[in-house]
Amino acid sequence: MNRRAMNAVLRTLVVVVFAVTIPHQAVPAPKESPPTPYNPYPAGILPSDLASEIDRVRGEINGIFQQALAEWKALPPPTLTGNPPTLTGSGYDMVRTLGKLLNYDEKMSVVQNRACAFCHMPYAGFSGPIPSVNLTMVAYPGSFQFRAGKRTAQRYTYSPWFPVLQFNDTQGLFFGGNFWDSRSTGFLLQNPDAEQAQHPPLDPLEHGLPDLACIAFRLQSAPYRPLFEQVWGQGSLDIKFPHDTEQICSTPGGAAIFGTDATPIKLSPEDRTKATRVYDNWGQSISFFEKSKEVSPFTSMFDAFLAGNATLTANEMAGYNLFRGRAGCTTCHLDGRGSTRTPGTGTDGTPATTTGTDTSGAADVTPLFTCFGSANLGVPLNPRDAIYYQTTPDFFGFTPNPFGFGFRDLGLGTFLRSGPGSAPNPNAAWISLAPTVDGQMQVMTARNAAMAPTQCPTTEAPGPYFQKEFFHNGYIKSLKQLVHFYNTRDVFAFNVTSGHCPQGTTEKVDCWPVPEVNNPNTLDHTNGNLGLSDTEENQIVAFLQTLVDGFTTPYPNRDTFTGTCSTGGTAATQGNATLISNYTLLPCASAICGVPPLPSAPIQ
Amino acid sequence: MNKLIRTLTIVTMGAVLLCANHGPAQTAKPGASQVPPPAKRPERVEITKGPELEIANDQFTIIRWTTNNPGGADVHYGIVQYGTDPNDLSQTAKSPIRINRGHSETRFRVRLAGLKAATTYYYRVTSEDSTGTSSGVKSSVNKFTTPAPGERIVARP
Repeated sequence: MNRRAMNAVLRTLVVVVFAVTIPHQAVPAPKESPPTPYNPYPAGILPSDLASEIDRVRGEINGIFQQALAEWKALPPPTLTGNPPTLTGSGYDMVRTLGKLLNYDEKMSVVQNRACAFCHMPYAGFSGPIPSVNLTMVAYPGSFQFRAGKRTAQRYTYSPWFPVLQFNDTQGLFFGGNFWDSRSTGFLLQNPDAEQAQHPPLDPLEHGLPDLACIAFRLQSAPYRPLFEQVWGQGSLDIKFPHDTEQICSTPGGAAIFGTDATPIKLSPEDRTKATRVYDNWGQSISFFEKSKEVSPFTSMFDAFLAGNATLTANEMAGYNLFRGRAGCTTCHLDGRGSTRTPGTGTDGTPATTTGTDTSGAADVTPLFTCFGSANLGVPLNPRDAIYYQTTPDFFGFTPNPFGFGFRDLGLGTFLRSGPGSAPNPNAAWISLAPTVDGQMQVMTARNAAMAPTQCPTTEAPGPYFQKEFFHNGYIKSLKQLVHFYNTRDVFAFNVTSGHCPQGTTEKVDCWPVPEVNNPNTLDHTNGNLGLSDTEENQIVAFLQTLVDGFTTPYPNRDTFTGTCSTGGTAATQGNATLISNYTLLPCASAICGVPPLPSAPIQ
Repeated sequence: MNKLIRTLTIVTMGAVLLCANHGPAQTAKPGASQVPPPAKRPERVEITKGPELEIANDQFTIIRWTTNNPGGADVHYGIVQYGTDPNDLSQTAKSPIRINRGHSETRFRVRLAGLKAATTYYYRVTSEDSTGTSSGVKSSVNKFTTPAPGERIVARP
């Protein structure tokens, strides 16, 4: 070990000593003190309230962690009966509670300061909980601050329903997987959501653990270890870890001292198999929690409407009819309803109903508002995204993005090529299909897009509102803008990048910069000139707000937000004050756009 | 026994009719994590409106047309074969759209990039779905003229 590496390990040990002195169950969370923060960002990229907001969310997380511990302790004693042995009666509650504990446990990260929930809080529909981050840097600061990823945190809600990633021959299309780029295929566990939960802990830009065995190692000392062993088997955590394990698990992934070693903890083959099994159980437990009524309960006003227990307002109903009619949103965000369209009305026609009733037959009483597919919608590049600035090595010798502003997010296309920032593609037969999907991102459910905390219950200015971010790179800051983008992308297209709209125009209002992946062969053209009026756009937003869970029964922990609501301005220009123009876009890096099979058209 | 058979027949017919009422335009149950099979194709796909110029600016030109819902796979590609000589439509542009299973009509929109300003182009359109199956539609040859530099053309939907 050279001197620099030794120094790195010593400094890490200091962090560890500091971290373990933090009372794990304290509410609110104490201040954290990373050794030498990574801050390659120009002034203004990181929000000014970042430190206090991190503390705020950590406090909220620890509060819910305490709640989960209490729920575990209130469970009846486990009874294992039958063959195969089954946790009779309480099995469901036990796995759900275990998943909740894992989701809110900060120790499952390199500096023991990041739970999964740090990017996924209930009041945001289990997406990003910090308004200023949503407004600026897009990706959330990871455990080793301030490394940060490149995309918005996807909502957990209803993600467990996505099928295993497949190329469906009869459709000629990809379906399923989890993550924006579908890289969590689900091929091993047959559950993309469970495999999704396995990525962030090992992502150097998120939890930052260098070895999956670190999860089993941390679970050995978790207060809820008995629950894990009751669910997944006595002895499942009996792994003999070498003496340097704490040292390794406290050194961020990507550190130069690890080289390309993905298993720096040297375990016996038997213990390595056990640790891998524990990591599978980690993902499965969290997925069970995400599929439970605590996360995905189907309790929205729209669900009540389908059941005949609620009436939509005239505005909401008009929005719904636009959603499935002229706006064509149900093309991808399937509403599970029968068609009310009759020959002659077509896409230009007047909705069959305009107020109060839905005359279609029910095809599905719990529609998911997604088609499980992917699309390149032509969202402009967002130069505020933290990823573009992480071009220099951090203290541990890790450079998050060596391409700088040459980075382009090709989504599913990059995954199929096993490209930078994605994951290895486990199916070689798909590689040749990459050029057909460049720029495609997963079609998320429209459910809970509008979820916001109880005290600032809208995402839309003037509020009081909770600032969210939409699409993979957070370019869009309100649902009004989101609908307006679909409505006018091609009408107000300008050959500029963000921050450079022509004088006399307003970005996101009557100027849309060029798409990040401007490939006409993959750019979806279903939308772009819908002809919706301002009022009609607002009606669709009103309908989207009926898809927020918590109408029929309160949404658990939606009231845990302890931050401040935003006020003022308009939804149309929400966040425009944070647009920037002082950056220089580089051509797409050859490591991304120059990898065979090449994109079907040059990507600038 | 006869009564039982009659009852079973009525129940079976009722179920068939219910299914028929829901028809192929309906979505499969996404709650069951199922990927829907391709939608039923109509006997014939016809252009009901267009093709025509929808948008033209310094960056791109969009040609659009509407057909009855072609069914098949969820994603279809509109295809425009074009050129400045009506007898040489050797250039091709292709853009994806998604069909809406609940809509009786489908609008195709295709983006053409790299065109010269203030120039007349000739074109015809066709389409296929993401499995490569042609819709059988082929328009006659039409033409459009791109705007002068800095000018924009936008047609209403």
